[in-house]
Amino acid sequence: MKKRTLLSMAMAATMMMSTFVGCGGGREGAGDAASTDTSASTEQTAEATTGELPGFEKGATIGISLPWLGTQNWKEAEEMFTEQLEAAGYTPLVQAADNKVTQQQQQIESMIENGAKVIVVGPVDGSQLGSVLEQAKEAGVYVIGYDRLLENTTGVDGVVQFGSVKTGELQAQALLDGLKEKKGEGPYNIELFGGGPADPNAPNFFKGAMSVLQPYIDDGTVTIVSGQTDFTECATVDWDNSKAQARMDTLLSGFYSDKEIHGVLCPNDGIARACITACENAGQDIPVVSGLDAENESVEWVWAGKQYSTVAKPTEDLVAKTIEIIDSLQAGNGMPATDVTANNGVIDVPVYELPPVVVTKENAKEVFANDPSRLELLK
Amino acid sequence: MKYIKQVLGGDLRQYTMVLALGLLIIIFNIISGGRMLTSSNFQNLLSGNAYVLILALGMLMVIVIGQIDLSVGSVAGFAGMVMALVAKNYSIPWWAAVLVALAIGVLAGAWHGFFLSQLGIPGFITTLGGMMIFRGGVIWISRSISVPAPQELKWFGSGYLPEWGPSFTGMNNSTLLLGIIGIACYIFAQIKKHKHSGDATGVKDPVWALVVRIVLMSAIIGYFTWLFGSGRVGTSFPVPGLILLVLTIIYHIITQRTKFGRHVYAVGGNKAAAALSGVNVKRTYFLTMMNMSFLSAVAGILFVGRATAAGPADGTSWEMDAIASVFIGGAAVSGGVGTILATIVGGLVMAVLNNGLMLMGVGADRTQVIKGFVLLAAVAFDVYNKKSGKSSIIGRLFANK
Repeated sequence: MKKRTLLSMAMAATMMMSTFVGCGGGREGAGDAASTDTSASTEQTAEATTGELPGFEKGATIGISLPWLGTQNWKEAEEMFTEQLEAAGYTPLVQAADNKVTQQQQQIESMIENGAKVIVVGPVDGSQLGSVLEQAKEAGVYVIGYDRLLENTTGVDGVVQFGSVKTGELQAQALLDGLKEKKGEGPYNIELFGGGPADPNAPNFFKGAMSVLQPYIDDGTVTIVSGQTDFTECATVDWDNSKAQARMDTLLSGFYSDKEIHGVLCPNDGIARACITACENAGQDIPVVSGLDAENESVEWVWAGKQYSTVAKPTEDLVAKTIEIIDSLQAGNGMPATDVTANNGVIDVPVYELPPVVVTKENAKEVFANDPSRLELLK
Repeated sequence: MKYIKQVLGGDLRQYTMVLALGLLIIIFNIISGGRMLTSSNFQNLLSGNAYVLILALGMLMVIVIGQIDLSVGSVAGFAGMVMALVAKNYSIPWWAAVLVALAIGVLAGAWHGFFLSQLGIPGFITTLGGMMIFRGGVIWISRSISVPAPQELKWFGSGYLPEWGPSFTGMNNSTLLLGIIGIACYIFAQIKKHKHSGDATGVKDPVWALVVRIVLMSAIIGYFTWLFGSGRVGTSFPVPGLILLVLTIIYHIITQRTKFGRHVYAVGGNKAAAALSGVNVKRTYFLTMMNMSFLSAVAGILFVGRATAAGPADGTSWEMDAIASVFIGGAAVSGGVGTILATIVGGLVMAVLNNGLMLMGVGADRTQVIKGFVLLAAVAFDVYNKKSGKSSIIGRLFANK
C-alpha cells in the first residue's frame, strides 16, 4: 500500500505552494511505477511484480477482522490467531467489530492503512463489505473469508469454512438417530429452527438438514406440527437465543398443548439450549435436539444427556487452515489449489472446506481427546 | 494574544472544538507513525462517516427547535432497503429507486411532523414510535435477508471524482479545482465581510488581520486539497464527502441566512415569544421533522451504496451518533443554540477519534468508553461555561487585559 507519509501540519503551507507550482509528489497508480516520487519507489518495486506472486516478508502485518466476541468460537479464534500468528513470526492485528457492519468496514480500512498483507475477515454480514474489500484488493492485499462466505464483491481470494450444507446434513442425521434411540419408533413430532438470515451459512445449514429430513416428512415418519418448514419462517434473526426461545414458547403454547414434542432441529448450541429451556418450562419431556459449535455449556449438556448432540467445528482446524494459506502466500506460492468453489453473486470464490464432527455422549471423549479444556467438562 | 484574537475575529469559543480536532489529528498522526494523515485514510474517513454527518445536519435543526429524533437510523435503514428492493424486484433504473427512497424519507418525516405539530405529541414519543415502526418495517420487507443494491449506487457511497486534464499538477484535477474554488470563495467572502466590518462600530478590522486570516485558511484548504487529491490515481476527494460538503453549505445558508432559519432559532429559544411575534410554530416544527427524515433517507442511500447491499440491521443506533455530534458541537440541550458548522466539527471529532483509535488497534470496547467520556466532557465544559458566565479556557487566554 502506498502511503504518503506527510508528517506535520507545519509543512502545510509548503505543501500548498508545491501544489500550485505542480511539483508535489507524483501519484502512483495501481501497478503503475511511472511515478517520479523516489521516496515511494522501493515500495513500488515489490508491487510491480504482482504477476509473479511476490510473497512478503516474514514479519508482515496480518489483519484479522472478526464480527464480535460474543460467542465462544469467536473468542477462541481471537486468542488462537493472536498466539499462533505471533509464534509464526507475523505481526497480528486482531480486531472485533461488535456485530456492527460500519465498525467492521472501518476496521478493515484501518488494517489496509496499517499495511496489512493479508486480511482475514469473519464478516458480520457477508454481503455488506463490497467496497472496502475491493479497496483492499486494489491495494494489493489478499482477502480471505473466515467461516462465512464474502458475497457480492470481487475483493475476495478464498474462503475457509466448514462445509455448511454438510453440517446441516449431519445435524439432521443426528436428530433422526437420536429420535430412534430416545423416543422409540415414530411417528415423531418435531419443529425446525434456522440461523441468522444475514449469515450466508444459515440457509445452507437448513438446506442440508431439509435434504435429509424431507423423505421422512413425506412418508409421515416425521411431522412438523406447526407446519412452518420455510427457512424464513424458521430463521432466528442475528442468531439471537432469546428470539429462538420466544418462538419456541409460542410454538409450544400454540401447537403442543395436547401433544408431546419429540425433537427440535436447532442450528447452533445457543438456540438448542434456548429450545430445551422452553420445553422444560412448558412441562414437556426434553426433546431430542441437535446443535452446533460445541460450546462449553452444551458439551456439559450433551454429557448430562440433556442435549442429544452438537456438531464440533473445531476452531483450531479453521485457524490452522487459514494460517497454512497465509504461509503459502508469504512464501510467494499464491492461494493453494482447491476444487470447490462457491458463487458469491459476482465471482466464483475458491472454498477451502473442512469436515465438521458430530458429538454425542458416546463419542464425546474421543472427539475432545486433544482438547483438554473441553475434556475437563466431561466429568 | 490580542493579535491572534484579531486574526480569528471575535468569538473565540467556537474555535475550541476546531483546535481540539486539529490537536487530535496531529497526536494520532504522531502515535500511529504517520498513518493518520494519508490520502487514503482521509478519503476513508470522509466516505465512512459522511452518513453520520449528514444525519447530524438535520439533527442539529431538530435539537435547536427543542426536540429530538430517535427514528433517523430506522428511517435510513427503511429507505435504503426499499430502494434496494424496488430496484431488484421491479427492475426500474437506479435513479428511480433513489427517488423512491427520498420520497419515503419525506413521507416518514411528514408522518412525524404531523404528530408533533398538529397533535402536539412530543418529538421524543413520536419518533420513538417511528423508530419501532420503521425498524420493524425493514425486517418485515427484507425478511431479515440482505438485498444487493444497484451497482451504480457505489459511486455515491464510495466513489471518486473523475480524472481529467494535465497530469503535471501531480494530483486529481477535480479535487484541485474544488480546492481552488474553495479558496476563492473564502477570499471573496472575507473581503466582502471586511468592507462591512466598520458599518456598526465605525472601526474597521485591520487589513493585516484579514491578510493573515486569508493566508492561514488558504494554507489549510490547500493542504487538504493536496491530501485528498494526491492519493492513488483514480482517487480524489470522495463523492460522499462532496455530497456532505454541498449539503453543509446549503444548510449553513438555510439556518443563517433565511427566514425559515431564523424561525427555527426563534422557536427553539422561546416558543411563546416566537409565536407572539408571528412565527408559525407548527409549520416550523413540521418542516424541521420532515427535513430530518429526508436527510435520513439520503444517509441511508449513501450507506447502502458503500456497503453494496442493504441489510436488516442498517441504521441501528445511528441516531445516537448524530445526537452526540450535535452536542459535541456545542448545541444546547434546551434548544435554541447550535450551528451547522460546529456540528460538523463535532461529528469530525468523533470520526477522527474512532479512526485514530482503530489505527492504533484499540478495540471497539475501549473506543466506546473513550467516546462516552469525550461526549460527557464536551457537554459538561459547555454547561459549566454558561452557568458561571465564564469564557472558555481558550477564551481566557485571549482575554483583553
